[in-house]
Amino acid sequence: METLLEKIKDRVNANFDLKDYKIYTDLKRVDLFFNKEHIPSVLLYLKEQMGFRHLMHMSVVDWIEEGEFEIIFFLWAPKEKVKIFVKTRIDRDNPVMENMDNIWPQLNTYEREFKEMYGIEFPGLVAPEEFILESWSGPPPMRRDFETDKYAKDNFATRPGREDAQDVRETIAKRSGEDIPDFAKKYSR
Amino acid sequence: MYNDKNKQKIVDIIKNAARKHSLWVLAYGTGCGAIEVPATMTSRYDAERLGVRGAATPRQADVLLITGYLTVKTLKRVIRVYEQMQDPKYVIGFGSCTINGGMYFDSYNTINQLDLYLPVDVYISGCMPRPEAVLEGFGKLQELIGKGIANGAQQYKENLDFYRENQKKVIKNWDFQDYNW
Repeated sequence: METLLEKIKDRVNANFDLKDYKIYTDLKRVDLFFNKEHIPSVLLYLKEQMGFRHLMHMSVVDWIEEGEFEIIFFLWAPKEKVKIFVKTRIDRDNPVMENMDNIWPQLNTYEREFKEMYGIEFPGLVAPEEFILESWSGPPPMRRDFETDKYAKDNFATRPGREDAQDVRETIAKRSGEDIPDFAKKYSR
Repeated sequence: MYNDKNKQKIVDIIKNAARKHSLWVLAYGTGCGAIEVPATMTSRYDAERLGVRGAATPRQADVLLITGYLTVKTLKRVIRVYEQMQDPKYVIGFGSCTINGGMYFDSYNTINQLDLYLPVDVYISGCMPRPEAVLEGFGKLQELIGKGIANGAQQYKENLDFYRENQKKVIKNWDFQDYNW
């Protein structure tokens, strides 16, 4: 299995400018990192030449500390039963990604979702304006700097009585003698 | 909400007794609570022995069950459905999401408090309420109907401006006609 994964990596590396890679033998999976502009040709090559015909998923990770969005394509080769994750990073302040729904038509749906939920622009994307949200006026809600708590408080009236609810986290920590980690403290009431 | 005299005419007593034993529930589910309704309706808990059964369309139904959280998008459809229903009509808020938002209290797209937008006759607490709790809620509704104090629909008509104002505040693309009863 390891030789097969190495071979896949070498073959991609011979044809494209591979930035980085990771091989997970037990998961039968190769992670390939590219620059943004190589992605369409890489995907087309993997689909047409190397048998990765099935697009399992497309995903976005918000790396707010590094000021980048990571876009991941999950591919699957039915014959070899191997996964490839194709990853790239784009700028978070000016998020533009190439529209690739001519390679896999189902990418159209994913791109619509990321346009709405993360505000990523896909030039040339032919799709209706709205995907899930109706007449949304706020910032894209799945970005990590979107304050969902504040937005809910401003827009939806809350019934009084929630604020004196007992904090379960503190009670459990006290009982088992643990410290609450710093990142969780700001959520404590 | 209460009748001002808190007394019923004989014809009302007869009408309410008939109404409370034939509650037709609109087969419409939002959120996750709709999964408890089949369990309530089928053989083990058998809600039909209390006169509670499903109705296909809003115009045939008496009870609107709001089963769980409501997104803003769904709220618009629910208001539309509620206004299509014919009198007598009642609303049951089902689960903690309809009471104070439940576990979705800080979600960007779900309302927290149902009774600002629709008049709720009975709330059933729980996340999720078990079929026993659902039957208890229907029992409570029957009790209120029998006493003649389940006046949600009347309250909605009388305070339409209040409800409309709240509805328009969250539903940005409001395109209903202006009408009243």
